Amino acid sequence: MTTYLPLLLSALFALAAPALARRLPPHVATWLLSGGGLVAAAASSASLALLAFDGFAQAPLLASRGQWSGSVLRHHDPSAVPVGIAATVAVCVLALRFLRIAGRRLAALLGAHRLAAALPATGELAVLRSPDRQAFAVPGRPGRIAVTTGLLRGLDGGQRRALLEHERSHLRHRHHLHHTACQLAAAVNPLLCRLIPAVEQTTERWADEDAASVCPRGTVAGALSRAATGNRPAAPATVLAAAAADVADRIGALGDPAPRLTWWRIGLPAGLLLAAALAVAVAMRDTEQLIELAERAYLAGQR
Amino acid sequence: MRRAKGGLESEVLAALWAAETALTPAEVVDAIGGDLAYTTVQTILVRLHAKGAVAREQSGRAYAYTPVLDDAGLAADRMQALLDKGGDHVAVLRQFVNTLSPEDETALADLLTRRQDHR
Repeated sequence: MTTYLPLLLSALFALAAPALARRLPPHVATWLLSGGGLVAAAASSASLALLAFDGFAQAPLLASRGQWSGSVLRHHDPSAVPVGIAATVAVCVLALRFLRIAGRRLAALLGAHRLAAALPATGELAVLRSPDRQAFAVPGRPGRIAVTTGLLRGLDGGQRRALLEHERSHLRHRHHLHHTACQLAAAVNPLLCRLIPAVEQTTERWADEDAASVCPRGTVAGALSRAATGNRPAAPATVLAAAAADVADRIGALGDPAPRLTWWRIGLPAGLLLAAALAVAVAMRDTEQLIELAERAYLAGQR
Repeated sequence: MRRAKGGLESEVLAALWAAETALTPAEVVDAIGGDLAYTTVQTILVRLHAKGAVAREQSGRAYAYTPVLDDAGLAADRMQALLDKGGDHVAVLRQFVNTLSPEDETALADLLTRRQDHR
């Protein structure tokens, strides 16, 4: 049963993600969710691989190669073969999914680096002539901040400072790498897909808090609501409702004092991840002991 | 107020881009929010001019500055085209805020006024 535990625990970790994103200081939540996501993904991948191995170990071909008794294993766990086949299919599908998503992500990051490099060295700021209200951080060496004239004209001096500091924070803290970590974790373990929007939210909040360290919180909130309204390009209908809630949440969070660190909110998810890692270790030891048992039976049969 | 290193240049440039007309150093000080020394702003403007990022013309006793659309602007336009194309750019290029429809805007405005009423 321990072999299934990492799958269950990673699902629990993902379930807790939205609440952690809201309640923890954004920089802590970002590190916890992206780093924890990688741990959970590694643990669940290991347990799937182990389930696949347990099934294949009973196959006569592998058993005779490895010089252990397949029938002893079969006696110990009769359901291992169907589970092993299912796990093998899952491992193959998820490995392909990982390659596809990792490739797409790498291409996107390289594209951003190329763009950042294509901007001549007049400084960090690249102004887009457009009536739309948009601002982006482009990761690269060095990263660049792109803002439309439409947005710059809609903001006052303090709000422009808030905007620039917000984008600078994305670049300084390499938020794109946290997003990448979550996408890769969710690629090998779809149960973790809730981490992606959660970390997008925490990195935005992190940048908002950084902006609030150079100007009043109300100014940051003002810049946000100005940027969210006005002349904007069309976007697919499905993202809109979430977008409105997202901006409202961020403005709401700026209306409250900066969130405080509560240790149990870190301890609980960290405990889940530790338990998942331990479960993998225990399941590996169990399999090892079982194989040893089957090896002894094989040798006894040879005599 | 604390400011990031190198951030002043961006702030001055952003103020010039936001203005419809050429700005004198005194007007830039106002546009930024008025908490920077005149000489600081002037130094930055001279540096930006030396880099070719801004153009200037005599206006009375001072110079008036306008931003220059350089290659950076052209590359930025290429970036805009990339953004219009869609794809994974949203994850790479973080948007300050996501796009809102008119209905979303109304909902957001309602939320904000309700928040203020509670105070």
